[in-house]
Amino acid sequence: MESALAVTGTAPVRTRRSPRSARKVLLGALGLVGFLVTWQLIPALGVVSPRFLPYATDVLGQILTEVRDLEFWRNVGRTLTAWGLGLLIATLLAVVAGALIGLVPFLRRATHTTVEFLRPIPSVALIPLAILVFGLQLQAALLIIVYATFWQVFVQVLYGVADVDSVARDTAKSFGLSRAERFRYLVLPTALPYIMTGLRLGAAVALILAITAELVIGIPGIGREIVFAQTAGDWTTVYAYVMVAGLLGLAVNLIFRFIERHALSWHQSVRGEEIL
Amino acid sequence: MKKALSAVALAAAAVLALAGCTDSAAGPSSAPSDGSGSDDMRTVRVAALPIAETGALWAAIDEGIFEKHGIAVEVVPAQGGAQAIPALLSGDIQFAIGQPFGPFRADLQDLGVAIIGDYASAQPTGRDVNAVVSLPDSGITDPADLAGKRVSVNSLGAAGDVTIMKAVEDAGGDPSTIQFVEVAFPDVQAQLEAGNIDAGWVPDPFMSQIEAGGGNIVVFPYQAAIPGLDLLTTITTQKLIDSDPELVTDFSAAMSEALDWASGDEDAVRAAIVENMGVPEDVAAGITLPVFTADLDVANLKELADLAVGYGVLEKAPDFDRLVQIP
Repeated sequence: MESALAVTGTAPVRTRRSPRSARKVLLGALGLVGFLVTWQLIPALGVVSPRFLPYATDVLGQILTEVRDLEFWRNVGRTLTAWGLGLLIATLLAVVAGALIGLVPFLRRATHTTVEFLRPIPSVALIPLAILVFGLQLQAALLIIVYATFWQVFVQVLYGVADVDSVARDTAKSFGLSRAERFRYLVLPTALPYIMTGLRLGAAVALILAITAELVIGIPGIGREIVFAQTAGDWTTVYAYVMVAGLLGLAVNLIFRFIERHALSWHQSVRGEEIL
Repeated sequence: MKKALSAVALAAAAVLALAGCTDSAAGPSSAPSDGSGSDDMRTVRVAALPIAETGALWAAIDEGIFEKHGIAVEVVPAQGGAQAIPALLSGDIQFAIGQPFGPFRADLQDLGVAIIGDYASAQPTGRDVNAVVSLPDSGITDPADLAGKRVSVNSLGAAGDVTIMKAVEDAGGDPSTIQFVEVAFPDVQAQLEAGNIDAGWVPDPFMSQIEAGGGNIVVFPYQAAIPGLDLLTTITTQKLIDSDPELVTDFSAAMSEALDWASGDEDAVRAAIVENMGVPEDVAAGITLPVFTADLDVANLKELADLAVGYGVLEKAPDFDRLVQIP
């Protein structure tokens, strides 16, 4: 199988623009069109009154109006700032804590129950606490984002560092690799695919929580714009911003898949076949 | 070559798009004057719901009333008491404008919150600021009809359900049979039409919209229960009253002047609603405004608390001597 020692050095450049990827783009676009047509039909057929669920065309029109407003881009920027900061802090904490705890069996056993207890707590439940500590400020949102995102990455790192092949570990030992070298050439390459998965999951969760925090706490950003439009009963703008949130999620996912594909171009999960 | 061409096309499209750009935040009120002006300008953060009633505050800030009192106000759009009170306690915001049940409950928990004045009161006569509404063919036209029905309020255990219960009781219905459901104001019409609720409690613009669609105004619960009841109050913490009494006194005085001014200049309030909430001008023109006043009617608040205790919404009445502190 793969020897981590040999693999890390080589990173074969892979440039493939096959008809297959063109088909994928086409299928993706088709799915989006199908979604929009279905949406358009729901109010048109009277399933839900158009007063409460505006037509897709109206919402798209509203998005086109919004994107020409500088304040719209500031709000996107505010949301992405909270998202980026939250994801960064959560990732750093999770990688450090995960590697430390994952590599020391004693710590792993000692923290297992606590981790499984803390992990399912919805971070939204911590909003009153976050406001009490930080007020109606970005820090309060960051607490919510970091809490939710941390576990996504942390658990992956934990499994990743524990997944080192025992033959590879023994080999590294008998070759006399130092602790630092073993970490660099053995643990890191093993854990990297896990970290990447955690990062991709975490990026989506961080975005959801960033917008949730804006919705509930009232921190400036896309979420707050949704609340404002809702209070004014302006459903077209509500759904326009909901769409924007979805598009941001899509962009975040694409970017992280791209990063994952390039960072792991040597790994069999990427080399082997198409990405999921 | 192809790449260069598409880059040029993209750039051209970008220039065209940017040429039509606007900046909705570039208004005179958008940038909070952060300490600019005189040196002794104090900045306070005030939590207020993004609702029509806040129009008076937005307008008064634009009018420069707070500036005159040496206070720069930053309005923080908190979603409700659940967000505003922790933020007050954390010291991040200095004042909040909210419904009286927030401070009531805070006082019962000894959180050190104080009401320093009224902000807006319901209309004692005529058309009130909120109503229980029902669909045209629902057969619900009188408060007594609400008995045994599903009625929505925006938050359970607050002034909405308490005053509705009182109105139903006064009309001869049994208030204990009403099933209260929590539905946000903007969603009431949709939930009524979907048949999930029989009647809903809404303020304007939703009250007028449902009425314009043929809906019934069943009752103005505030007016029916306690005419002219305090709708929103200005609250702060005991800690701030103790540590900076001058700021609280000055803010209170500024607020009092702002509310008096706002009650005399409805057009400015409506203009502020249009600007800050993004509602169309004709909708804003149709909104029923409350009575803007800083004069707190403590007797009304006590009556409200007693009703709440009577209906089991509150365990006991708050300590009004501690809770109400007019500077």
